Amino acid sequence: MMDLLNDGERLERELTPEPIAAPAMGSLLLHGVLAGGLFAYAIIGGLFHHNFWGSPGAGGAIQVSLVSSALPLPSDQPPNQNVLSTETPSKAPAEPAPKAKQAVDETAIPIASKQKPQPPQKQTAAKTSPHQPQPRQDNRAQYGEQSGSSMPRATQAQTGSIGPTSVSEGDFGSRFGYYVDGINRKMATSWYRPEVDPRTPKGARVYLTFTINRAGNPSNVQIDRSSGSTTLDRSCQRGVQRVDTFGPLPTAYNQSTLKVSYYCEY
Amino acid sequence: MKAFFRILPVSFVVLACLAGSGLSAQDWVHTGTNLGNDRIRLAAADFKPVGQDPQTPALKAAFDATLYNDLNSAGIFDLVSKSLIPQATPGSPQEINLPQWSATPSNAAMVAFGALSATNGRLVVYGWLFDAHNTVSPQVLGKQYNEVASQDMARTVAHRFADEIILRLGGGINGIAETKIFFVSSRSGTKEIWEMDYDGQNEHAVTHLGTISISPRVSPDNSRISFASLGRDGWDVRMYSLELGRMVNFPAGTAGGSNQSPAWSGDGTKIAFSSSRSGDPEIYIADASGGNLRRVTNFRGPDVAPCWNPRTNAQIAWVSGRTGLPQIYTMDQDGANIQRMTDGGYAISPSWSPSGQFLTFSWNRKYGPGAPGGQDIYVMDIASKRWLQLTHEAGSNDFPSWAPDGRHIVFERAIGGHSQIWSMLADGTEQHQLTHTGNNFMPNWSWK
Repeated sequence: MMDLLNDGERLERELTPEPIAAPAMGSLLLHGVLAGGLFAYAIIGGLFHHNFWGSPGAGGAIQVSLVSSALPLPSDQPPNQNVLSTETPSKAPAEPAPKAKQAVDETAIPIASKQKPQPPQKQTAAKTSPHQPQPRQDNRAQYGEQSGSSMPRATQAQTGSIGPTSVSEGDFGSRFGYYVDGINRKMATSWYRPEVDPRTPKGARVYLTFTINRAGNPSNVQIDRSSGSTTLDRSCQRGVQRVDTFGPLPTAYNQSTLKVSYYCEY
Repeated sequence: MKAFFRILPVSFVVLACLAGSGLSAQDWVHTGTNLGNDRIRLAAADFKPVGQDPQTPALKAAFDATLYNDLNSAGIFDLVSKSLIPQATPGSPQEINLPQWSATPSNAAMVAFGALSATNGRLVVYGWLFDAHNTVSPQVLGKQYNEVASQDMARTVAHRFADEIILRLGGGINGIAETKIFFVSSRSGTKEIWEMDYDGQNEHAVTHLGTISISPRVSPDNSRISFASLGRDGWDVRMYSLELGRMVNFPAGTAGGSNQSPAWSGDGTKIAFSSSRSGDPEIYIADASGGNLRRVTNFRGPDVAPCWNPRTNAQIAWVSGRTGLPQIYTMDQDGANIQRMTDGGYAISPSWSPSGQFLTFSWNRKYGPGAPGGQDIYVMDIASKRWLQLTHEAGSNDFPSWAPDGRHIVFERAIGGHSQIWSMLADGTEQHQLTHTGNNFMPNWSWK
């Protein structure tokens, strides 16, 4: 190729310094804009708080509860959803509300469908103790109007129908009624109702059978009669499998195992 | 014909097997949900004194009081008040009139009764537990005890009988009447490790080191106590043998830095503790003999107060200050799978429940100047992170420790500069003060 520039022009071109002032200023300006933009983003972004660690505030307990876990203690009221009784504690311990005596209207004609069902015998029996000294009230949660206990407990006072424990052949139930009661209590802890699909019809029952060995460990859980709801069936099965031991079999019972037929009613 | 005779013995065997499976004489029980579960209404009768020995009344008083107290604090019984039970003191199954006990006003479902005699320096106790609703075969338990006659043994026998009753009626969970609580007391002038029965009786000192010893943790087999002690070179994790009655070596706990808050794994083979030998307190795990030391955490910020999952022996909960204020975390014992449990506030001193499901710890959810905060004991379900506040506005509550039955928690309460040890049920009810002398701290419930 022919060199279009002669020597003088080439030298001049090589010796002329490259114009850097304008590009340098432009570069500085661009960097400044970028840095300023980052700075502004950091400042303004910091004004809008993001919750990286979950919801802020004191009541941040997550309410998802898929696994059954209950303190192995009896309780008189069912668990409520408050994580703390109330955020506004009352000034003085709340007085227990006096039982409102229902005025019996002599002239009222009782309506059959509106009759209140009789309270179960067991509950009235437990209340006939007027001489009991009041239990010490110190350090009890007397805040607000509701006792705070969102943790499920082993035994809740059952409000459902209380039918007799049916006992079949063999006299285990009549000889060792306390052990059957123990099975009921343990299963009440370990069967977890929220596992069941809420569309299951009320009163649906699944019948299971399992075997208890001498040490009280359940095994061989089978579904005897399904309730029609697979979630109820599975949750009842899991409830039995969750139990470590029902307690050693009674010493006076001389078989090596006990077969139990258990129903879970939704 | 020949073929028929050849298979005959085989067919006999097969038939015999099929028939045999139907012959297993098992009993069947049918039961189900929604059948009503309440506390068991138990009547603990005064035991009948037998014999004329002058020691008997005093021993019987101690036995009766201890038995009543044990059953009352078990958490699963509705104990019939002493003023409601029938006046009779039956001493044997022939003497008891069950309908009297199951009728009002006592309405007992179960009756514990028996006879006690102290003759020739031997304390002999017969105890029965009867089902008051079952007149045909009421006996649930029948026990006999024969020990040296002394106040201590009267209490011990009562503890044993109460434990049997709790085991039978409490769904297979052992009673805690014979367990011990180890704690720190400064009543002798220096902070030493002390031991007492679970009901606060029989307090006595275990260590006599003359220096500051804190955070005692007893081993699962009740043979050794590990604790942190201030020595010449700073805080060391040291070991005391209850069997030998003297200090034993724990080499891993005496390296440089501050070594504190030891924790035994449920099988008694490993000890986790916090050490600042690398400059920053981290969690280390060593064998119970002190060898095989390895580091488990590696984060800036203090990592202290580990405790093991006693069920799986594969997880550790501990307190970490990596985000600023101390929070509770759990991880696997190799340091993986770190999960944060508390979402704010000031959370310290975790203790893992024996069932592996719950953590109890001390938490100040609204921590900060001017905030209406209080240090309270909480129980949290690990899987769902639901929590329950157990103490409310009564002093500063710290260092909770689970009882082996999962129903009781012992903790330290500080009011106005004085610290005492309290125990309560795991739902926050039945709070009772256990220690009354001097200042007492950092309780630890034994494993059995």
